[in-house]
This record gives sequence, C-alpha cells and structure tokens, in this order.
Amino acid sequence: MIQLGTSTRGALSRERDVREAYAAHSGELYGFAVRSLGDAGLAEEAVQETFVRAWRAGDRFDPKIGSLRTWLFAILRNVVIDLGRARAVRPGVAEGGIEPSVEPLEEALLSWQVEEAMRRIGDDHRRVIVETYYRGRPYAEVAEELGVPEGTIKSRVYYGLRALRVVLEEMGYED
Amino acid sequence: MKIRNECRDWRELLGVYALGQLEGDERAGLEAHLEGCAQCRAELALLEPVARMLPHADPERFESAAPQPPPELGARIAATIAGEQQRTAKRRRRRVFGGFALGGATAALAAVVLAIFVLGGGSGEPEQHVRFASLPQGVKIDATLEPHAYGTEIRMYVHGIASGTLCTVSLKGPGGVSYPAGTFRYRWGEDSEAVLSSALDLSRTRAVVVQAGERTFVAPLGRAPIAANTQLEEEST
Repeated sequence: MIQLGTSTRGALSRERDVREAYAAHSGELYGFAVRSLGDAGLAEEAVQETFVRAWRAGDRFDPKIGSLRTWLFAILRNVVIDLGRARAVRPGVAEGGIEPSVEPLEEALLSWQVEEAMRRIGDDHRRVIVETYYRGRPYAEVAEELGVPEGTIKSRVYYGLRALRVVLEEMGYED
Repeated sequence: MKIRNECRDWRELLGVYALGQLEGDERAGLEAHLEGCAQCRAELALLEPVARMLPHADPERFESAAPQPPPELGARIAATIAGEQQRTAKRRRRRVFGGFALGGATAALAAVVLAIFVLGGGSGEPEQHVRFASLPQGVKIDATLEPHAYGTEIRMYVHGIASGTLCTVSLKGPGGVSYPAGTFRYRWGEDSEAVLSSALDLSRTRAVVVQAGERTFVAPLGRAPIAANTQLEEEST
C-alpha cells in the first residue's frame, strides 16, 4: 500500500519508536493493567489506549524529564482511571456488568511493583523470603529443608532484599 | 566500597534484622555493632524501606507466572496507529484541497493526490453513520463508525455543548456489554472531530453511548449500514 503519512516530520520513526516501546514495556504495562482492572479484556483495552495516546502525544515525551517507562506508566494510570470512571457511570452495569475495582489505584500500583520485583529476583532469594517472612517459618526449619546452614538462609535474606532494592530502583523506586 | 571483615559477618544479618526477625545474642550483637559503624547503618537504611514494602505483595500472585498480553495485541495497536496516521494525512490533504483557489496546475495535482488516496485507502467495507436523537436544543452529536481488523473506529462530531466538556464514549455489544472507546474534550472553535477506537467489531455493535458531562446519550445502530461515501465526508470539512 502507498504510504501517505510520510510527509509528517518524524511520524514514521515515531511509529517505529512505538513498536520498540511496545516490545520493551507491554508485558509490565499489561501486568499492572490486569492487577488494577481485574479483567484481561479491559487490560488489553487499557494497554492499547496507552500506546495510542503515547503515539499521539509523542512530541511531548521528553527523555530529560523521565524515562519512557515512567511516561508510559503515567499514561496507563490515566487510562485506568478513565476506564474505571467509564465503568462506574456506564449504563447497564447493574445487568451483569463488571463491578469497579475496590482497591485504590496507588495501592494497586505499589502491590504490583513489589510483586513484579519479587518475580525478578533469583529463585533462591525469593524462596527464603517467602518461607521465612511470608509464611513465618523458623529459619532452622527452612535451613534443614533446603539442606544448607541456617547462616546461609539468613545471608540469602540479606542478598534477596538487596536484589529487591536494585530491581525496584530499576522500576523507578526512590526513597 | 571496601567492606571490613568484621562488617561482612554482621552485614549478612541485616536482612533478617530489617524484617524484624533477628533475636537473642545475634540481635544484641548486631545492634552493638551498628552503634559504632556508620557504613552498616547506611546499609540498613537501604534495606528498611524495602522491608516495609513487602506486606503490600501477595506471594500467591508473584509465585504464579506474570500475565502476558495476547500475542496479537501489538499488531492491533500498530494497525490502529497506522490507520490514524493515514487519516491525519488525509484530513490535512482535504484541507489543502479546499483551501487553494483551484488554479489549473494545483487542482490537477490535488486531484492526483486525491486519486492516490482513493486507490490506496478504503477496505471496501461499509461505514455506518449514526445520528443521536432526543438531544437538548442546539446540541448535535454524530458518529461515523468504520470497521477495522482491531475492532471499530469511531469518529465523533459534537456541537453545542459547553467548551471543555469531558466526553466518554463506548460501544454496546450484544447483551448490553460495554466496550470503552476513550475520552475527548469538546472545544469551541477547534476541529470538532475526535477519533476513537474500540475493540468491539462493528458487526456486533448495537449502540453508541456518549457521556457528555453529566448527561448520557445513547444512539442505537440501524440494521442496514449506510455505504461508505467520500462525498459525505467532504461535507464535514
């Protein structure tokens, strides 16, 4: 097909930029959309709308202000708010519609970030944090189960929290 | 940063300490060490905020695989953007076409450009034009729906409502299920057309719903779609 949009300055390269951005960030954006909207179909809508808005406003993205990832998440956040609002005022919600998510968006974002970070650290580190912290099991018991000294379990907790911090910082966390 | 040997042993206990799970002699020993060691205190300060974030995560969620977007979503987004890009070029061209005094050479050139567009664009599937009825006096809302592989493109025309009003558009499918199409703001004196998209196929669309400010307007779709007509489109410019 004949390309008709080429006269717009930078438009084609921007379209390519969107594809690259999609490859790099769609998984995370989708993960957060599912987490906050609680529905895979709506999450797809939200991710699509995010990239279309990003493309429309491509001129306004300034890498000096923040990362592309941060910018996309800011757009997604607005899209999720819009979708939540549309869902709340939608006629006919009562007849079998989906109830709006009750979890506040900021809490959903924080939870999603920590969960995503936990997924990204090493298996050994995650395992000891899950067993000792989340399941509250004694360190000696976990050590015996894994066949390593108790001191090793404790040091894995330390290196696990260290790794979590690095991942969270990559995701934009600041003290 | 060089870590002293003495620090190394204490440091590996900092994680358990940050989680509030270090007990007995180890706890007392570490606290005594922290008193005199700024480096280890700084290290602890890095771990504490992370430890405070842990209660927000649910292990059931992160121990299962992260949800992945369906493989076709990327292509759908690319198609939406390509379509929008083409329409932007098309509108620009139409304005150029209307703006020139139609002197011979210019008109001929414009005609060629238009011909390329007609040949290049258009999937051959019919658009649907929807007019909203029962509106307050002076308000006019129209929508043109165009089928796409990704769903339906909606071009909204709004007149006569307060400038800056937030409009939320959705399509209703079978069974009254709503598919969001997005939002726009109506502005006086600017291009009154807003281009939106929804994942619902046009063939399954039963109605267009527009929420403008506090008011909600619904326009059901007629059974017989109106054929695509470039002449009609020209009238809107």
